[in-house]
Amino acid sequence: MQPIIQAEHVSFSYGEQAILKDINLTINPGEIIGLIGKNGAGKTTLLNLLLGVRAKKSGHLTLFDQVPGGPLTKRNIGSMLQGDLPIRGVTVVELLTMAVTHYPTALQPKQLMADLALTELSQQQLTTLSGGQLRRVTFALALIGNPKLLFLDEPTVGMDTNAQQAFWARVKALKAQGKTVIITSHYLPEIEQVADRILLLQDGRFIFQGTLAELQRQYQQVEISFQTSLALTTFEALAGVTAVSQINQVVQMSSTDGDKTLRALVPYLSHLQQVTINRESLATIFVHLTKEV
Amino acid sequence: MKPFLAQLKFDGRRLILRNFSFQFFSILMPAGFYLLFTKVMVSGTVPVSFSLQYMASMIVYSGTINALFGIALILMHDREKGLLQWYQLTPSGVQPYYLSVGFWSMVMNGIAIVVLGMLAVVVNHVSLTLGQWFSVAGVALVGQIPTLLMGVAISFLNRPETLSIVSNLITFPMAIVSGLWWPMSMLPSWLQPIGKLMPTYFVNNWLGAVATHATLKTTNVIGVSAWIGVLLVLVIFETRQLLKRGDGVVKA
Repeated sequence: MQPIIQAEHVSFSYGEQAILKDINLTINPGEIIGLIGKNGAGKTTLLNLLLGVRAKKSGHLTLFDQVPGGPLTKRNIGSMLQGDLPIRGVTVVELLTMAVTHYPTALQPKQLMADLALTELSQQQLTTLSGGQLRRVTFALALIGNPKLLFLDEPTVGMDTNAQQAFWARVKALKAQGKTVIITSHYLPEIEQVADRILLLQDGRFIFQGTLAELQRQYQQVEISFQTSLALTTFEALAGVTAVSQINQVVQMSSTDGDKTLRALVPYLSHLQQVTINRESLATIFVHLTKEV
Repeated sequence: MKPFLAQLKFDGRRLILRNFSFQFFSILMPAGFYLLFTKVMVSGTVPVSFSLQYMASMIVYSGTINALFGIALILMHDREKGLLQWYQLTPSGVQPYYLSVGFWSMVMNGIAIVVLGMLAVVVNHVSLTLGQWFSVAGVALVGQIPTLLMGVAISFLNRPETLSIVSNLITFPMAIVSGLWWPMSMLPSWLQPIGKLMPTYFVNNWLGAVATHATLKTTNVIGVSAWIGVLLVLVIFETRQLLKRGDGVVKA
């Protein structure tokens, strides 16, 4: 399979300040990628390099086997970036009708508006729309060129719950059509739900690239708590346990290997009450990882 | 060609048909001033030469208002709200957008010429040949370039509030000192030499000379050309700085 994006040893700097360091990346058709990282980690710069609005300082970077930024790559890319185009004096349908002419293989605005539940808003001026409605229009604008690769930056900001669900259903449908989607978001539960792979950027380097399951296997802590009359020392040496604390009769344990720790707890089960087991979310893993590095 | 035509249609609606600011500040206000100073607040009949010169002044004033308030704000708004960025990422790029905005800013000035010209003819009974009208339109459109470049230059400012202050600080003092509102002889003597360096002064004189059959002074043409040169350099410099800073590119 021919990768859509290929980066080898890519770096970028502003003067002396290195922003991206030795980025290696391969993204295949039909993948949903979650690009995450703290503010200042280099996500924006990486996005700028991929979109072709900035040029790498060194390394090799291709999109669709082309240098980013050329007309051939631009016709295959759709982007839903921050900023919602609340342009004065323009209706939704007028914006999309103009946008169609900028792409050689564009979708029909009428059909696209129907697909994204925008038909009722089509004659409304952009400045009269709510934040969530504008976000949906921006999504339509990203899709209008019928792109093979879609960049979504904080896509659901301002959307209500129903709109968010419809949005992610649409993203999954795009994946089913073979489209590649790169999502940048601080709403990690959403990334957790849809991303096939997660790219975690920290200080200009990828500190993790892989599936959520791999991330969880590698870094996830399991939190186990229960009430017991047994001494705390009973649990300190159990397999996988990294920390144990007790408040009144409630013991709380952190484990890097939940399965092993639970098996080790079996002999004590008759002494334990109100057992709860929580797996860390992507958000919690993210906080741990970005603190540690 | 298709993106450009679609862009023209798109911008025509938002820049002219649905743009109340343009209709009021760039057309109705100069038209109102024209009527006020050539018909309402004067006793007796005003000389034809004054009717023509004031028409020229109001055409220049309309173009200045349009460039420094209208076009500057639209360019800033489109950049700030992400429209420019969207064009940048399409296969057609930003060219259709800039060509369209340039085209419509000329049309906007053309509308002012038509409205003010009609008022001069209908209300003040001035008479110009078709050739003179074309000359007036040509000079007015070329003369708009310096203020248009000023509008582009200030559109690079970071905040709409700052833009509004800067537009006010440039437009009205420049209009007054360059004699667009009332004759320069009414200004203090120390201010008059400053007024005579303004781009609007050169355009106003050049346009007035064309309209009133007066002798053309080459200094006016040189003045306009010099301003175009200086402002073009400034706009190119600002654009490079903008790209260097990374503004106008993706913000995530």
